[in-house]
Amino acid sequence: MLEVERLEVAHGDAVAVWDVSLSVRPRELVTVVGPNGAGKTTLIDAIAGLLPPRAGTIRLDGRDLASVPPHELCGQGIALVPEGRRLFPTMTVEENLEIGCYAPAARRRRAQSLERVYAMFPVLRERRRAAAGALSGGQQQMVAIGRALMAMPRLLLLDEPSLGLAPAIVDQVFEVVAGIHADGVAVLLVEQNIVQAFAIAARAYVLEQGRIVAEGTPSELARDARIREAYLGQQ
Amino acid sequence: MSTRLSTLGLVVAALVLALVPALKLPAFYESFLYLVFFWISLATSWNILSGYAGYFSFGHAAFFGAGVYTTATLTTAFNVPFLLSLPAAGLVAALLGSVIAAVVFRVRGVRGELFGLLTLAVTFVLSTIALNTRLDGGPGVFLAAVPVPTLLGAPATTLYHLALAVAFLAMFAALAIYRSRWGMGLFAIRDDEDVAEVLGVPTYRYKLVAFALSCFIAGLIGGIHAMFVTYVTVAEIFAVGLAVDAIMMAALGGTRFWYGPALGAVIITTLTQSLTGGESAVLNRALIGAVLIAVIVFLPNGVAGGLQRRFRRAAHASVSIVAAIEAPPSPAREASAPLLGCVDVKKAFRGLQALAGVTLEVRAGEILGLIGPNGSGKSTLINVVSGYYRVDGGRIVLDGRDIARVRAHRIAGLGLARTYQIPRSFHRLSVLDNVALAAMFGGDHGRAAGRSLARSWLAFTGLEARADALPGELNLLERKFLDLARALASEPRLVLLDEVLSGLTPAQMTDALRLVRRIRDRGTTVVFVEHIMRAVLDLADRVVVLSGGQVIAEGLPRQVMRDPDVVRAYLGKAYA
Amino acid sequence: MLAGLFTGGLYALLGLGLSLTWGLLRVINLANFALAFLGAYLTYQLATALGLDPMLTLVVIVPAFFLVGIVLEEGFLRLRIDELTSLIVTFGLTVILESLIQWIWTADFRRLESPYARVSLRLGPLFVGLGGLLAFVAAALLTLATWAWLRWSYLGKAARASAQDGPMAGAFGVNRRRLALLLAGLSSAYAAVAGLFIALNHTLAPSQIYSWIGVVFAAVIIGRLGNALGLLAASVFIAASEALTMAVTAPGWAPLVSFTLLIVILLLRPEL
Repeated sequence: MLEVERLEVAHGDAVAVWDVSLSVRPRELVTVVGPNGAGKTTLIDAIAGLLPPRAGTIRLDGRDLASVPPHELCGQGIALVPEGRRLFPTMTVEENLEIGCYAPAARRRRAQSLERVYAMFPVLRERRRAAAGALSGGQQQMVAIGRALMAMPRLLLLDEPSLGLAPAIVDQVFEVVAGIHADGVAVLLVEQNIVQAFAIAARAYVLEQGRIVAEGTPSELARDARIREAYLGQQ
Repeated sequence: MSTRLSTLGLVVAALVLALVPALKLPAFYESFLYLVFFWISLATSWNILSGYAGYFSFGHAAFFGAGVYTTATLTTAFNVPFLLSLPAAGLVAALLGSVIAAVVFRVRGVRGELFGLLTLAVTFVLSTIALNTRLDGGPGVFLAAVPVPTLLGAPATTLYHLALAVAFLAMFAALAIYRSRWGMGLFAIRDDEDVAEVLGVPTYRYKLVAFALSCFIAGLIGGIHAMFVTYVTVAEIFAVGLAVDAIMMAALGGTRFWYGPALGAVIITTLTQSLTGGESAVLNRALIGAVLIAVIVFLPNGVAGGLQRRFRRAAHASVSIVAAIEAPPSPAREASAPLLGCVDVKKAFRGLQALAGVTLEVRAGEILGLIGPNGSGKSTLINVVSGYYRVDGGRIVLDGRDIARVRAHRIAGLGLARTYQIPRSFHRLSVLDNVALAAMFGGDHGRAAGRSLARSWLAFTGLEARADALPGELNLLERKFLDLARALASEPRLVLLDEVLSGLTPAQMTDALRLVRRIRDRGTTVVFVEHIMRAVLDLADRVVVLSGGQVIAEGLPRQVMRDPDVVRAYLGKAYA
Repeated sequence: MLAGLFTGGLYALLGLGLSLTWGLLRVINLANFALAFLGAYLTYQLATALGLDPMLTLVVIVPAFFLVGIVLEEGFLRLRIDELTSLIVTFGLTVILESLIQWIWTADFRRLESPYARVSLRLGPLFVGLGGLLAFVAAALLTLATWAWLRWSYLGKAARASAQDGPMAGAFGVNRRRLALLLAGLSSAYAAVAGLFIALNHTLAPSQIYSWIGVVFAAVIIGRLGNALGLLAASVFIAASEALTMAVTAPGWAPLVSFTLLIVILLLRPEL
């Protein structure tokens, strides 16, 4: 479904991601793990269309995404839950969610999607008229995920959802993500937290300093020396 | 061009122009030159604050008008001699400007466009006051009856010479400031006022005096102009168009140069004069508006900037950072005495406990690595130690002194410097000036001393070939080294490096690591935050691991990395 | 005093476009005033030359100005002009437009003769000029409509979201470029409407352009950027204060009110 081939992305003259190839099959939950600074956010931003790649291709269902203008990517079935959530702070929770289904196809199912999100996150229904900026970190994460779900994506991109959240909330968030996956949505999850990510992923890639250094199923990668190396340096 | 040459040039030009009336040319030429001096004064004085420091004032007409009406009132209502009224005109305008500046600059949020609007409003306020009080009252003020001293010929000639004097006064002032410590501070304020302040630039004072001087000159030329036109009305004097013209001339010539505004004034005045006559006069204004737009969009550095680029030595392709001067062998280090100590430091943000009681010590002369998973509190610790955040509890002791509650720009003076993950240089100051600024204001040196110190620091970091380049022309590694040189220029005892290796290629990383070691060998203690573990193992003497806002391990790098607690923090129980 | 109140309507009309572009697009369009005056002169010209009811001229002028706004914004986007530069560029545009106006219509005073100017309505014990009343009604309608549009319509929400986090809005399908062009076109259209009512109620002269700048900026800032209702409230408030000042002291002091207010507000609440 998603095919990334030999991707190279740079920030100015600092190359953050090079020669990265990965794939996500329909209804699959794939995770990319790696230490901080490995380039995970850069990778996801490029796939979501926020950052133009310097080289390589990104294909969704065979279609090269480079030919699609950024604001039409949502219509193609990709939705992003960005790092740090990036909600619209002075707009209400409900308005934030509504922006999620701005694309015409999703907008037609607005009422149903809204119901679905509120069912998934009851606390948001209570606080639907509150300004998004006033919510706690965990609640904001829910809004961010809800906003992406409103777009009725076939592929959900999640960038470090556990960032800045208390461990208990992190558990909740990952439960939600597993649930979304169970509903049939493909997920590309980028995470620093290996434990949580490996618990729900079917396949994993390990990113270190912009390169993929290992890939496989979580059980294959468990106790793999390369992961220790990536996170803790050579032993 | 050196200051001496420029000054000489100005003096010669002034003398030559002073002799023009003696040539007995048609009156047109003296009037034309008067106008040139008029606009040079206005544009140059405007530039002193607005161009140098970046606070674009749209209210120059207000202070000009203050000068005009001071002279008008003093000479007609109080029979004060014309010449005596001039300094008064300047002082009134300066006083007005100072009061406004004293209030406005205190408010943190007023930058750029807000300052522009505020000054615009001041013009309207002053014009309303003038219109409704005895200052003008509506019909305007007639000065034809006021005697003008005839020092060097006809009254018109006196005015000519006075205007000449003010114009050159303005240019001398602009030049002097440009070459001084004050000027460099103003330019730094324009590029990044926050960083300038952290480096020790007294921003409030510098802006205030610059504004006062700017208004003084505007007031002076205003007083002279009152006599030149002999009939002043509010509508003509407090015209917003005056401010626009001055801004445009400065922008056309180049706001970052002392002679830029004068250059622009000459060009525009000449153009305007050659387009006089009936209908053209109106379209002429349109042309001026079009020129302003074109200049501000396409020539951000003005004509002077364009010229300078032509004549500058072409920037070389990046020179590889050569292993420069090897540091002299360091004197025997004292057996690791603690230089910095954190005792039970706590910091929380909106319910999230970022630092939950951190206790660690940094020993003099060592390279300490600070690592930990994301969210462990590393950046918060750096920010707290450097004074960017206030601690909620605990002590931070630098060289025996508790600095937990000292403000950021003072801490810099106490021997602690830091770099930022994304380098924040003054992008319109040269590489040399970036470092010189830190040396001047951090170490309290004069401009010349600062620059020579800067050169030696650039040599130390291998950047001396790029001294005249702009930061934007450097590659990432060079910019990081610039940041380092700037941090070192204040001669700190301890330097905090925040992810200095991020974004570098492996080859560049080797260069960076080598430089960090040389920094330590020179006697500066280094604490660095890093994620790239190979580098940490390579560089650090000791390592401290943070997790969940607390220290969970410390010791020799390889040992620490094998510590089960550390492995668990990074990878979870499965890997321990 | 009531007439003073209705002047507030005119302030709001002039400020609406400015508030929109400044709040949502980060463009400070000083040329809004010159544009409005151009609209006023065009209204005068069309109504006088063709003998039309001034209101009808809107049919031609509004769409034309809409296009002008789009062209201007396209320029701003292509040249990547930031907030402070936009202030200077539109200052330049103002000068150009003023020269254009003066060249075509000369600096002579022009007054549009229309029934609207001559008719006065009776509201209880007071007489109110029809022109002023209509200006206020138009202002109230337009600000209300704009506010409601921004608040409840999808496009309006997209505009607000785009102003807060552009790339994220884009990531969910908002075509930011088209939105920016639409908003700019709308602002210029508002300027055209303001121009109509200026022509109805005031004598026209090129120098008049600058006399409105201070007041309207004050209203826009006090009412908070991008907030149409706030603008209306602030405009009415300022106009009322001016009327009061005029009644109590000499008329010449009225402008002082708005500018002083502006200065005070800018100092107390610099975060817009």
